[in-house]
Amino acid sequence: MNPELAVQIYSSTAIAVGIILAAAGLGSALGWGMICSKYIEGIARQPEMRPQLMGQMLFTGGLMEAFPMIVLGMAMWFVFANPFIGAAGG
Amino acid sequence: MAQANGEGLTPVQYIQHHLENLHVGDGFWSVNIDTIVFGWLTFGLVMLGAWRMNKSLTAEAPSGIQSFLEVVVEFVDNQVKSIFTGRNALVAPLALTIFMWVFLMNAMDLVPVDLLPWLASLVGINYLKVVPTTDLSTTFALALSVFILIIFYNIKVKGVGGYIKMFLFHPFGKYLIPVNIVMTAIEEVAKPVSLGLRLFGNMFAGELLFMLIALLTAAAYLIPAQIVLGLAWAIFHILVITLQAFIFMLLTVVYLGMASADMDEH
Repeated sequence: MNPELAVQIYSSTAIAVGIILAAAGLGSALGWGMICSKYIEGIARQPEMRPQLMGQMLFTGGLMEAFPMIVLGMAMWFVFANPFIGAAGG
Repeated sequence: MAQANGEGLTPVQYIQHHLENLHVGDGFWSVNIDTIVFGWLTFGLVMLGAWRMNKSLTAEAPSGIQSFLEVVVEFVDNQVKSIFTGRNALVAPLALTIFMWVFLMNAMDLVPVDLLPWLASLVGINYLKVVPTTDLSTTFALALSVFILIIFYNIKVKGVGGYIKMFLFHPFGKYLIPVNIVMTAIEEVAKPVSLGLRLFGNMFAGELLFMLIALLTAAAYLIPAQIVLGLAWAIFHILVITLQAFIFMLLTVVYLGMASADMDEH
């Protein structure tokens, strides 16, 4: 296979993976920030509800984390088993 | 794999070697033997624990393990009671089994990354992945089983006609039937897909991070950093393991509850 083609594919994939991971990290951080800020607000309003609210916070945090995790999995797929290199005959 | 011995492996080769399953066959028809073996081992552990507990249940002066299991059973029972509105004898035991089994499978991730593969290489097995839930097959098998149960309970409670009406008339009225069909179908399919991928993504990322931390021992001055980072990540991963098992169980109960609810007129 043409080495220039391989270099092009690998470098584009590397930049793309960087952008993908940045977006996933940003989304995850913003999501957790919003969930936890509402949790603290809820504690401030009703301190006696703290354990139930914590359970709900962890649960919704785990739900929110699903899509950054899926995105992370796909980015790792590009890093370790690059389909574009496979398609180009590498 | 260029070199299979311990020395002379580049970091990329180390990671790629650890990410490969012990499989029989090729491509789509490959069967991951290590996933099956460890999945059945953890399931056997759950069943053995349940059977032993069953034989030695006492109401007065319960042993430590019995008290701990009582806490777990009560916890799952409370979740099911608060979410599942119908009357069903299958849901709570199903939720308990899913919780315990997924938790034990995830907990295999806490075993040091190289320990079991090294022991296996002494016997001649060169590739071993010990965490069954890092294999997409396992998580999707669990999610698809839940999906089949969702369809079954939908048809059982609403009837085939009621189930098809749910596709045709939700969420919009009767003038937008094609849109309704597409949106309801996407919603139904998104349930098992998100269940499987969420568990897989979390466990895969955790395992990858353990491997990357293990790679820090390449340079001698980094070994204290590796110990500290490994400890910190392992402690955090205990929370992630429990949380993911709990989320899988809770979502199973929620979806089965939604499937067993009678249709209300909008």
